[in-house]
Amino acid sequence: MKTSSELRLAPGSVVTGKWKGGRYRVERLLGEGANGRVYLVEHGRRLYAMKVGGDAVDLQSEINALRALAARRRRAEPFLVAVDDFVHRDGSEHPFYIMRYVRGRALHEYLQREGADWFPLVGYNLLGRLAELHEAGFAFGDLKRENVLVGDYGRVELVDYGGATAFGKSVRQFTELYDRGYWNAGSRTAEPGYDLFSFAVLCLHLFEGRRLLQLSQTLLPQNRSPAELIRLTESHPALKPFAGWLQRALRGEFASAREAAAAWQRILYGGIAKPVRRRSSSAGWAAGLFACTMLALAATILWLMTEGVLPAGLP
Amino acid sequence: MKQLLLITDGCSNVGVSPVIAAAHAKAEGITVNVIGVVERGESISSAEIEIEEIARAGGGMSRIVNPRQLSQTVQMMTRKTVVTTIQQAVNRELRQVFGAESVEALPPDRRGEVVRVIDELGESAPLKVALLIDASGSMRPKLPAVEEAIRDLVLSLQARSGKSEIAVFHFPDSEDGEGCVCDLDWTDNIAGVKRILPKLEMRGTTPTGPAMMQVIDFFRRGDYGRTNRGETDGMMGEDVV
Repeated sequence: MKTSSELRLAPGSVVTGKWKGGRYRVERLLGEGANGRVYLVEHGRRLYAMKVGGDAVDLQSEINALRALAARRRRAEPFLVAVDDFVHRDGSEHPFYIMRYVRGRALHEYLQREGADWFPLVGYNLLGRLAELHEAGFAFGDLKRENVLVGDYGRVELVDYGGATAFGKSVRQFTELYDRGYWNAGSRTAEPGYDLFSFAVLCLHLFEGRRLLQLSQTLLPQNRSPAELIRLTESHPALKPFAGWLQRALRGEFASAREAAAAWQRILYGGIAKPVRRRSSSAGWAAGLFACTMLALAATILWLMTEGVLPAGLP
Repeated sequence: MKQLLLITDGCSNVGVSPVIAAAHAKAEGITVNVIGVVERGESISSAEIEIEEIARAGGGMSRIVNPRQLSQTVQMMTRKTVVTTIQQAVNRELRQVFGAESVEALPPDRRGEVVRVIDELGESAPLKVALLIDASGSMRPKLPAVEEAIRDLVLSLQARSGKSEIAVFHFPDSEDGEGCVCDLDWTDNIAGVKRILPKLEMRGTTPTGPAMMQVIDFFRRGDYGRTNRGETDGMMGEDVV
């Protein structure tokens, strides 16, 4: 089997499974993971995501993790739909699998569009996803912004399981910035704390991205430490309520993702998490926009009152 | 599993060809990987062909990267090579047991179990990685990145369940300019090592081939010692050997 790193499937081309004969029409390229490319495909009038792997063994490892996860989530709609190979026109063979198509945006794009007020909920949902995977015996490994897809109302799906690693093994794939070992904060062994550390860095990346990247670029390797990251947890208003939580995650103090999710939840409903107040210095335009909105709203209310839709004297 | 990882930025210019040395390594069961480290704006097009050829002769892979990508490349290459080595061994078994040529030839439904075995062996099989560092002139500013990559590799190897050791060599030997110097003997822990690569007065020669031959010999001697210790049945000390 050749590697498919050069293989690009054009929209409209049809892929037929070699073993099971399923036919999938390629709509477009969705993205590129570490182990291959992901396409949007149509099959039986439904849309799915198809991952075409560069290497059958790497792809199968990923599938093994997905199967283990599916066995845990029996009631949910299956994520992994089919596994097969196809023969390209040029004679090369490529392994692929079909998964549920998740409509959504990468985490950072979602928050930029919908607002940081969604962050506490999305974070909680993401912790739930990690907990599920952990309960199936796997760490996700390569947790980063791009691998978290957020759909309507903050629903979260993890994508690209290329880094998924059975607990106790060495993490298969990781991204330096999110890696516990890179920050001299622990081993690269797959365990709940590994993902939770990445989760904490992910939160920092969302709100303190510039400072985080600056740290990684300027600190000498031996000086990278969780303490440096902890310093980033306390200034941004969106992170502030979670500062204590983030510190525990960065220090590896949570025993499991469930425990971590429960602690996160206590902050959500404990009244500590106030709506995010935007920093006036950096968001002057937002204040202006807000003022305009209020003006428009006032005008609308005035109009409604004159039309008699609303009773006069409403505050 | 034995790997030799060469990190360089130029062509060899002394002694036996590194391509021949790599073929020797392969014959000894040592996979040779090569990384060319290039600063932005620097061109090593003449060396690129040699780098590629060394890896091909040594049954491994080659990459040209900038110093910032070094850690990740070292880590990825080592890991991939482990998987490939195991895969080759498993494919031999498959031929005997299933009559299938390779994992890919099996139906997808039957791959799962085989890949689980590959993953398991890849984690638990003993691994030795010898790093051979080109420390001639132009590599000098890149050595901090090399040092970091070595520490990063040790961190990754420590997460494996099988015994994993590294050894570090640099060339040229400042004494004679011909071979290499061992900076670190087989070890699985370098926490106490302040500096792996010493500050050197560097000479202009690049004896890549001869240095590789020396490392192959180092592997061989290590194996020799091990076999003999095994035969003493653990009852007598090493001094008997």
